[in-house]
Amino acid sequence: MDVNDRIHAQLIKAGVRLAASLPDDWVNTLIRRISQDNQIRHVPVGREAETIAICAGAFFGGVRSVAIFGNTGLLTCTGEMATLCLRHAIPVFCIVSGRGSIDDHKVYQEVQGRRTIPLLQAYDYPYKIIDDEDEIEDIPNAYEWHRLQKRPFVLFLNKRLLGTKA
Amino acid sequence: MKTNACMQVLAKYRGDAVVVCALGMAANEWWAVTRSEDSFYMHGGMGFAASFALGLALSIPNAPVWVLNSDGSLCMNTGCLITEAGQSPANLKHFVVDNQCYQTVETMPMVNQDGADYTAMARGAGFKRAVAIDNLADLDAKMPEIVAAPGPYFIRLRVEAEPDYQRAPPANYEGPEMKYRFGRALEKKLGIQVFGPRGF
Repeated sequence: MDVNDRIHAQLIKAGVRLAASLPDDWVNTLIRRISQDNQIRHVPVGREAETIAICAGAFFGGVRSVAIFGNTGLLTCTGEMATLCLRHAIPVFCIVSGRGSIDDHKVYQEVQGRRTIPLLQAYDYPYKIIDDEDEIEDIPNAYEWHRLQKRPFVLFLNKRLLGTKA
Repeated sequence: MKTNACMQVLAKYRGDAVVVCALGMAANEWWAVTRSEDSFYMHGGMGFAASFALGLALSIPNAPVWVLNSDGSLCMNTGCLITEAGQSPANLKHFVVDNQCYQTVETMPMVNQDGADYTAMARGAGFKRAVAIDNLADLDAKMPEIVAAPGPYFIRLRVEAEPDYQRAPPANYEGPEMKYRFGRALEKKLGIQVFGPRGF
């Protein structure tokens, strides 16, 4: 069982049955695994903020969900996370590639690496960075915790964990 | 047609539909007509009521879901049409209340006012059923078919701009209370569990 299989398995254990996603090369393997799982309704979108609203809607249908996308997309949808989710106290669980880290030398990820965490802190969005495989088993705990936080929560997956070469 | 009269016709045919309202005048008029708590009146996330309704519809596939979107919100996130058509939820009807202006901000004109065909855009995005309705008589005549047909179904409703600021006031509750009233209403209506045993 590789890292993405383990994350997938922990999402199932947490009760996740809907995933809305937009590709990023670090999380594409996870997205593909989920899209092949009949237990989870997969909703590909064209813009990251759609995932936030789709997951917010799923919350009211009693369905546990996850939004999966790249760090750049996280920057684009913080406004909707605020005006929809903070406004109405709706929890949304996000899995995001931790782009722009010191081992990510893509120049177009540089700003994301420096400014994402300060931005989350400014909005008071809780987050956790997973860089050790053993922490994957914390996902069900993180899921319960984000529900009682009643706001968006971001779980970052880093390059070393994913073993990506991109 | 006036927005309030339009909402009265929609309410007549609503049946058991759960309703999601984009922020703005259509939401206020829906509240004025129905006072329904099994409707979600978005106070933010402009452009994303349709996405919210899609997530809800996919989660409660046996219940009809309507989204009362607005032209301004649709213009802010036209990609929602592609996502919705891609999922093809049979229980979702997508109404767009089109007054060709941003009514709550001094009726400033809609982008490309008179020049955009939202119904054609919906068809282009993949909707098999999309219709434009311009008056109350046509709406009243068409609603039985809209209700009976499988979704996704896109309905553009042309209404008059009514420039009085917040002629109809918004719902008299908001924010987290909106969450709990709506969630509890759906638990009662659908027999689902939105909140856990400790209330979150």
